[in-house]
Amino acid sequence: MINRNLLMEVDWLLIGILLLNSLLGCLFVYSASHHLTGPYHLRQILWIVVSLAALAAILVVDYKTLIAYAPFFYGAGILMLVGLLVGGRLIAGTKSWFRVASLGFQPSELMKVFLILMLAKLFADYRRNTLSAAMALLSGGLVGMPLVLVVMQPDLGTAVSYLPIFLSVFILAGMSRKMAVVLLLLAIGLAILSWNVFLHDYQKQRLMTLISPGHDPQGAGYQIQQSKIAIGSGGLLGKGFKQGSQSQLNFLPARHTDFIFAVLGEERGFVGILAVMGAFFLLLFRLFRTVPLARDRAGVYVVFLSAVLISFQFLVNILMVVGLFPVAGVPLPLLSYGGSSLLTTYLCVGLAINVRMRRFANV
Amino acid sequence: MADNPIYEDLSPVQKRAKKIFVAVEILFVFILFYYWKIQILDYRMYWKLAEQNRIRETVLIPPRGLITDRGGVLLAQNIGSFTASIIPENTPNLEESLAGIGLLLDIPLDELRRRVERYGRQPAFKAVPVKDNLNLKEVSRIEARQLEFPELVIVAEPKRFYPFGSRASHLLGYLQEISVAELKNEAFHDRHLGDLIGKTGLEAEYESYLVGRSGRLVEIVDSRGRRQGEVERRDSQSSPPLELNLDFDLQARAEDLLAGREGVAVVLDLKSGGVLAMASYPNFDPNNFINRFTPEEWKSLVSRPDFPLENRAIRGLYAPGSIFKLTMGLAGLNEGVIDDRTSVFCGGQVTLYGQSFSCWAEGGHGSQNLTEAIRNSCNIFFYNLGKKLSIDDIARHAELYGFGHRTGIDLPGEKEGLVPTPEWKKAARNAPWFPGETISVSIGQGPLLVTPLQVAAHTGFIALRGRVFTPRLLMSPGFLRRSGAPRLNADLLLREDIKRHNFDKIIRGMWESVNRQGTGRGARVEGFDVCGKTGSTQTVSALTADRLARQQREIKTHSWFTGFAPRDDPEVAVTILVEYGGMGGETAAPLAGELFALYRRLMSGKR
Repeated sequence: MINRNLLMEVDWLLIGILLLNSLLGCLFVYSASHHLTGPYHLRQILWIVVSLAALAAILVVDYKTLIAYAPFFYGAGILMLVGLLVGGRLIAGTKSWFRVASLGFQPSELMKVFLILMLAKLFADYRRNTLSAAMALLSGGLVGMPLVLVVMQPDLGTAVSYLPIFLSVFILAGMSRKMAVVLLLLAIGLAILSWNVFLHDYQKQRLMTLISPGHDPQGAGYQIQQSKIAIGSGGLLGKGFKQGSQSQLNFLPARHTDFIFAVLGEERGFVGILAVMGAFFLLLFRLFRTVPLARDRAGVYVVFLSAVLISFQFLVNILMVVGLFPVAGVPLPLLSYGGSSLLTTYLCVGLAINVRMRRFANV
Repeated sequence: MADNPIYEDLSPVQKRAKKIFVAVEILFVFILFYYWKIQILDYRMYWKLAEQNRIRETVLIPPRGLITDRGGVLLAQNIGSFTASIIPENTPNLEESLAGIGLLLDIPLDELRRRVERYGRQPAFKAVPVKDNLNLKEVSRIEARQLEFPELVIVAEPKRFYPFGSRASHLLGYLQEISVAELKNEAFHDRHLGDLIGKTGLEAEYESYLVGRSGRLVEIVDSRGRRQGEVERRDSQSSPPLELNLDFDLQARAEDLLAGREGVAVVLDLKSGGVLAMASYPNFDPNNFINRFTPEEWKSLVSRPDFPLENRAIRGLYAPGSIFKLTMGLAGLNEGVIDDRTSVFCGGQVTLYGQSFSCWAEGGHGSQNLTEAIRNSCNIFFYNLGKKLSIDDIARHAELYGFGHRTGIDLPGEKEGLVPTPEWKKAARNAPWFPGETISVSIGQGPLLVTPLQVAAHTGFIALRGRVFTPRLLMSPGFLRRSGAPRLNADLLLREDIKRHNFDKIIRGMWESVNRQGTGRGARVEGFDVCGKTGSTQTVSALTADRLARQQREIKTHSWFTGFAPRDDPEVAVTILVEYGGMGGETAAPLAGELFALYRRLMSGKR
C-alpha cells in the first residue's frame, strides 16, 4: 500500500508546520490554564500524539479507497450525531460530547472530514462546468443534514464551520449568477426565520454585539472588549510569557480554548501574532498549491475543501477575538485546547498530503 | 476522451480554487493590518485600558476565632500587625530593587531572594510577603521611602497573639506557615502560600473551625494597585470563640508549681470530663515564632534537650510505678484471686522464680491486706498478686481500665502508651516472656508505659466507680465532635468482669494513703477527703541502679501522685508527674495537695 517512493513524496514541511503550531498551542494553553485544576497542556500533548498517529494511518490508505468508502463514514457520522441527540449527556449545556475515559470527544468535528470525503465522491464524476440545480440540492442536503443535527445539540460554533464547506463546493462546481442570487435570497429568508424562531437569546446578543460592541460592556460585548484590550495592550513585543495581566486574571472566559489567540497577542505581542499568522499562511499556501497537483477531480475537491475548512476556522477565530466576527465558538485550529478539533485538522492535512503523494500513480 | 480521468480537463475547477485562495490572501492582509492598528497604532490606548481594567481578587480572611477559658479569660486573640510585601511587577529591575530593600529592612540579600523565590510561581503583579511583624519604626521607615520603592507595600493583617505568653502553650498550640506538602492536602484546598495554619494543639485540632469563613473581594484596580471600583464583595465571617473547660487560675497555678522542673499536672472535672488544667513544663512562648520567615526561635526549641515543645501530658511515656497498684488491685478483685481479707506478710524481701524482689521499706511492712498495701504502697503484696494473675489477665484489665489506648482528648498527637503482653514481646523484641517480668509489671515497672493523662483518666474511672469518660478541652458541646473519636464505651459497669463494690475497696486504700499517714499524706486537704496514690518509678534498669548504689550515687526516680476528691461524690481528679522528682510522696503529693486546695477555694467562691 505504501512504499519507499511514496514515502519520499510525503510533504514533510506540512507536517512540520502542524507540529510546530500544535506545540506552540500547548505552551499557551499552559500559560492560560496553569492555575486551573487539570493538566490541560499535558492532555493536549496526548492529543497531539493521537492525531499524529491518525495522520500516519490515513496516509497508508490511498485516498481513492477512502473516497470509495465515504458513504459508510458519512453514515456512521450521522448515526453518531443522532445517537448523541438521543442518548448524549448534557455537558456545558450541549449534547456534543462522547466521553472516552477522561477525554471528551466531539463527533461533529470528525464529521467535517467525512463530509469532505462524501462531497469528493459526489463530484468525482461530475464533469460539467456549471452546477446543476439537482447537484446543488443533493450536495446541499448532504451538508445540511449533519448541520441541522449539530444545531440541535445546540452547538452553533461547529455548525457555522460547516457553511464554508457547503459554499465552497458550490463555487468550485461552478455556480451560475442566477443560482447565486437564489441562494442569497434563500439565505436572507432563512436568516430572518432563524432570528425569530431558532436563535437563542445569547446568540442574538452576540450578533448585536458585533454591530455595536460598546453598548453592553459587562454582558456579551464584555468578552470581546476584554479580548481586544488584551491584544492591544500586548503592543509590539508583548508582556512576556505567563505575565499577561488580562489573560492571567479571570477576564477571558475560554481563554485556553477559543480565546487563546488573545493570550498570544497579549503575552507575545504583534511579533507573536505575526509569527503565528505567517506559519498559518505558509500552511494554507502549501495546501492551496497542492490543489493543482491532484491527479483527478476527487483529489482536487479533497484538498480544496480541507484548505477552505482550515482557512475559514483560522480566519473566523482571529476575526472573532478582535470583535470583527460574532463570538461563534469556533476554535483556533492547532492552537486552541481541544482534541477533536486538533484531530480534525490533522486529518484534513493528512488527506491533502495523501492526494499529493499519490499524484503520479497510475490509475 | 471525456471519460478518461487522466486527460480530464480540471482547469476551470483549479482556477476557481485559486480565486478563493486570493480571497483568503486578501483577508490575511486585511487582518494583519487590523492587528497592526490595534497593537501598534492604538497600543497606548489599550495599554491604559488594561491598566485601568485590572481586576484584583482578594481573599478576605476573617480574624481567627478566639479561644477562652471557662470563665471567658482570653487565651488566644488577634492583634494588628504589619507585613512588608513586594510587587515584582512594579519594579523595572527586581535584582537592584531587592538589594535596596534588603538594606532598608535589614534582611541579607540571599535570604530576601529566597523569600521572593518561594512565591515565584505566581504572576508578577501579586504581592510577595518578605517580612512580617514590622514594628512601628520599620513601618515609618518604609513609608518615608515609598517614592523610591513603589514595589514595596505594607499590608495590615491580624496576627495571632497569646496574651499570657507561655501559659497553656501546649494546649493552645501555635501557627506556622502552610507547607507546600500541606497545600496539596484536600483539607487545605482553599488555602494559599503564605497562610498561617495551626500546627499543634487546639489551633491544629480545631483549625477548620477557628479559620472561619473567608470572604471574597473583587475590585478593579490600576497598575499601582489603586482601587478604581468594586465588582463583588462577600464579607468574611469569624467563628464564635472556642470556650474551653480550662480554668485559667488552676492552669496558671499548675504551671507555677512545676516551674523549674520537668513535669506534668493534670486536673480533670469529674462531673463533665472537662480538662480544668493541663500543664506541661518546660513550656514555650508561641508569640515568639508566629511569623513566616524567622523560625530560628522555633528551631532552637526543637533541638533543646528538655523538649519544651512536647506536651508531656499526652506525649510523655512513663512507667506508672506504684500508681499501677490500683489497677492491679482492681484486676485481682475482679478476677477473684484476692478479696479484702487476703493478707500477705511483707518481710522487705521475697524470692520469686529464683529471683529476689524487695520492698521499698527495708524492714518490711509486716502483715498487709489490700487496703494497707495500697496505703503503704507495699511491693510484696502486689508481687504476690502478680504471681497469682497471668500477664494476659493483667493486660486485659489494664486495657479495660484505660491504658494502652488513647483517651481521645481533643488534642492532636496523643500517644497510646504500651501494655505489654507475650505477643507484644515476641513481635517487638523477638523474645519469650519471662515470669519475672510479670512481677515487675505488677508494681508498674518493666516495659509498661503510660501517659500522665491516661493516669488521670484512670483515676477518674476509679473515682466514678467504673464510669469511663473522654477528657475534653472544649466546652462548646456537640457540633465540634472530634472525628474518629474512640469508642465511648458504654458504662463499663455493664461488663460482668468489673464489679462496682470492688472500687470501694481500692478507694478505701487511697483514702488511707492520704489521710491515715500513708505515702500520699502530702496531698491531704483538711475537710476535702482527698483519696490518692503515689508512685516513684525507677528511671534506670535494675542493673544500673545496683551499680550506682554501689558507687553511693543518688538515683532520682520519677515522682508520681494521682488522686481525686471528695471521696464519696467525686468532683475533681489531679495527677502530678515530676521527672527525677524523687519519691512520689515527697514531691508530687504536696503539689497535688496545693491544686486540690486551690480547686476547693475556687469552687467555694463560685457557690
